[in-house]
Amino acid sequence: MGQLSKVVGAIAAVCGLAIGISSVAAHHSSTMFDHSKTLTITGTVVELRWVNPHVSLSVNGTLKEGEEPALWVMEMTSPGNLVRAGGWRRDAVKPGDRVEVAFSPLRDSETRGGALKKLTVLATGEVFTANLREQEKPGLE
Amino acid sequence: MKIRSPAILLAVLAIASVSVHSAEPPKKAPVIINPPPTAQDWVDLSKLPDWSGVWNPKITDQDAQVKTNPPPWNEQAAKKIELMFAEEKSGRPRLIFPGCLPEALPSWMLITHNAMEILFTPGRVTMLGESDGNRLRRIYTDDRPHPDVPDPTFHGHSIGHWEGDTLVVDTVDILPQVPLAVSEAAGVPNNGDMRVVERIHLADKDVLHVDLEIFAPKILTRPWKTTRIFFRQRARKFDIVEGVCVQGDLAERINQDGDHIFVPVEKTIWGNIVAPK
Repeated sequence: MGQLSKVVGAIAAVCGLAIGISSVAAHHSSTMFDHSKTLTITGTVVELRWVNPHVSLSVNGTLKEGEEPALWVMEMTSPGNLVRAGGWRRDAVKPGDRVEVAFSPLRDSETRGGALKKLTVLATGEVFTANLREQEKPGLE
Repeated sequence: MKIRSPAILLAVLAIASVSVHSAEPPKKAPVIINPPPTAQDWVDLSKLPDWSGVWNPKITDQDAQVKTNPPPWNEQAAKKIELMFAEEKSGRPRLIFPGCLPEALPSWMLITHNAMEILFTPGRVTMLGESDGNRLRRIYTDDRPHPDVPDPTFHGHSIGHWEGDTLVVDTVDILPQVPLAVSEAAGVPNNGDMRVVERIHLADKDVLHVDLEIFAPKILTRPWKTTRIFFRQRARKFDIVEGVCVQGDLAERINQDGDHIFVPVEKTIWGNIVAPK
């Protein structure tokens, strides 16, 4: 129940993100993320937004053990490309799942956001990746 | 006056009818440009090359051509592109498709990250894509000309014909605001008079080439030629899915009345979600 209330609270925080300046566009380059770096957080899934053109994953997590968990927002490519190149499903993760996320962080180190590279579901060991360039030959299964 | 004789009555009506008709302009026969297909039309389609399945782009080649085959930008456009590349490299990528506007033509072919399918029906080739709010191109192959009066759109007006197994497409009437883009963060508006000629053909059994020649006299010093590569897929996971771009700017929530609603997500000027601090 404690876990559930934390998730509900975190969703409220994501709702907080949803208020404010109007959105401009979702269709963007990803160089606001520093692709030369990879960080990893461990935490609890808050929400998977399975939408075009960029899927996003909110995780309440920590970079280091013992830290106070905080909300992170990860962005990815489109649902279609995640299914094809990264083995994703709409139900790959659900709120409350414990996960490890490897990602390239935003260049603005004051903020907690990144471009997801690899997601591991800790309970099952399932791994999902997000490199849309991994589908460049015909007849893929 | 009473007209007693039916013959006289008919004669009067006939005269009245002639006088009414003579006051109207002569009627034109309706212009039918989409006639019902014949059985032969469907047979003819079966003789076209097999482009069935789903085609996904070779993105690494798009990336490579940014350096190996840049468009011959004119001086003004080149300065803008140079600035955009510098901004992109510095982590401040420009939004060149603001408001989720379509990548449009020719950028759909040049920089797309998403798959497409190509459908043949009598008199028409239709391309269906997976972004921009379900992108779509109609290419008329029924010998019609471009319209006399331009009606510019994001994808322009496309007419095509077959030269052997190659579909040759000529597109005009593209909105002047539509960018000629070489990446998601580098492109300039074509500013009018852009024309795109595509030669689309199988380069191998499951590899499609789109050879483009782009005429954009307001931003290029000469026409630009490039080839874009697509791979054929038939697996279930490559089925085209709905791709409503603006949905990315919205979060799914439930309001106080229990209704499922969308609410805006806060975005940065570069288009990514504003991350928590």
